[in-house]
Amino acid sequence: MIKVENLHKSFGRLEVLQGITTTIKDGEVVAIIGPSGSGKSTFLRCINLLETPTNGRILINGQDITDKSTNIMKVRQNVGMVFQHFHLFPHKTVLQNLTYAPVKVKGISKQEAEKNGLELLGKVGLSAKAHEYPNRLSGGQKQRVAIARALSMQPDVMLFDEPTSALDPEMVKEVLEVMKALAHTGMTMAIVTHEMGFAREVADRVLFLDGGVLVEDAGPKEFFSNPASERARDFLQKML
Amino acid sequence: MNLDFQQFIPSLPYILKGIGVTLQIVSLAGILGFALGIILSFFKISRFKFLGWIADAYTSVFRGTPLVLQLMLIYYGSPQLIGYKIDPSTAAILSFGLNSAAYISEIIRAGILAVDKGQSEAAMALGVPYRPAMMDIILPQAMKNILPALMNEFITLTKESAIVTVIGVTDVMRRAYIVGGEKFSYFEPILIAGLIYYIMVMILTLLGKGIERRMRRSD
Repeated sequence: MIKVENLHKSFGRLEVLQGITTTIKDGEVVAIIGPSGSGKSTFLRCINLLETPTNGRILINGQDITDKSTNIMKVRQNVGMVFQHFHLFPHKTVLQNLTYAPVKVKGISKQEAEKNGLELLGKVGLSAKAHEYPNRLSGGQKQRVAIARALSMQPDVMLFDEPTSALDPEMVKEVLEVMKALAHTGMTMAIVTHEMGFAREVADRVLFLDGGVLVEDAGPKEFFSNPASERARDFLQKML
Repeated sequence: MNLDFQQFIPSLPYILKGIGVTLQIVSLAGILGFALGIILSFFKISRFKFLGWIADAYTSVFRGTPLVLQLMLIYYGSPQLIGYKIDPSTAAILSFGLNSAAYISEIIRAGILAVDKGQSEAAMALGVPYRPAMMDIILPQAMKNILPALMNEFITLTKESAIVTVIGVTDVMRRAYIVGGEKFSYFEPILIAGLIYYIMVMILTLLGKGIERRMRRSD
């Protein structure tokens, strides 16, 4: 469970997050949407401390990750992240991308990591690409590998930062399918996305951010059919 | 132009023996320069400003004064600095290594900064600590990009090593000069030395291309 309490984040004088409070329950899939510059990505990046909150608390499974004594590396091992631009390691093969962190950080054996890695590649439908380098893959394939890489650490939570925004339209679906399958396994997921159809279908809850403020926190049906705020109505009108 | 290489054939083995001396100085200085260069580049990108300041001062001094002066300072200054005279080739290795570290640190720093920030973020997000992320993820990618610049530095080092002549190390250059003095004819032996340097640099170039090809496997 992720508990966010009064989260603030400023870059210099710019206050990007102005006090966000919400809870993401275990197994819940939460879509985070909003106009660009609304602080969605920053919010997500605070959850694995890629950004350090200026103020407020974030508790993951009861542990306050904003506490100074918290081991950030340990927290991150439990929180997988998928980036808009994949960020696969280009000098490592697909399988090495999946085995590097488990072997290096968790200290599991190479054989076991490879076995797990191949299994994960099977799940994202890319077993045949295990020994290719990332540059030989399409965007959609790269993102599926990136998802498998994040899963290789067996995290409790998965964060997705606009996972389909950098993809050609025909590759969006294959990535969303993988994410949908993952959601069905009961994984806790927080997804920053512009895919409204996906959010509506897969998310258990929608967080609508605007100007660093959590404007709406509602179920997808309610949010998409009957948004409470003017700003959300405005946004949805432009998106749909 | 009357060139007479005939008379130098007996001296050829003597000159060629200098290759070993040159190679020894260049390779040890290269290793020293590379290792120290990496450390200095880490200083330069460190969030501890003091370390960056030290590395910048180091680079500024070694880039701002002539190499031959640094060589002489170390060689002739050693009795006053450490109490005894070091031998000329040690002085050469030290001065060349310290000097090229300044240049190499700049090359590596630029290479590290050129690696996409997303790479270190991806490593961090997987819970990989700074040091292994640097060693396994960032540096290998940086190395690939800076290899041509690095080869340039090693080529320069190979050629510049000829200035050890001034402190009496019997490298290729010095030997050619000595042979010329014996026969009162400098032109031919120095031409021979030139050819030897050129071939060494060519081999180095080919070696660099080979390594580059290997590193481009993932493209």
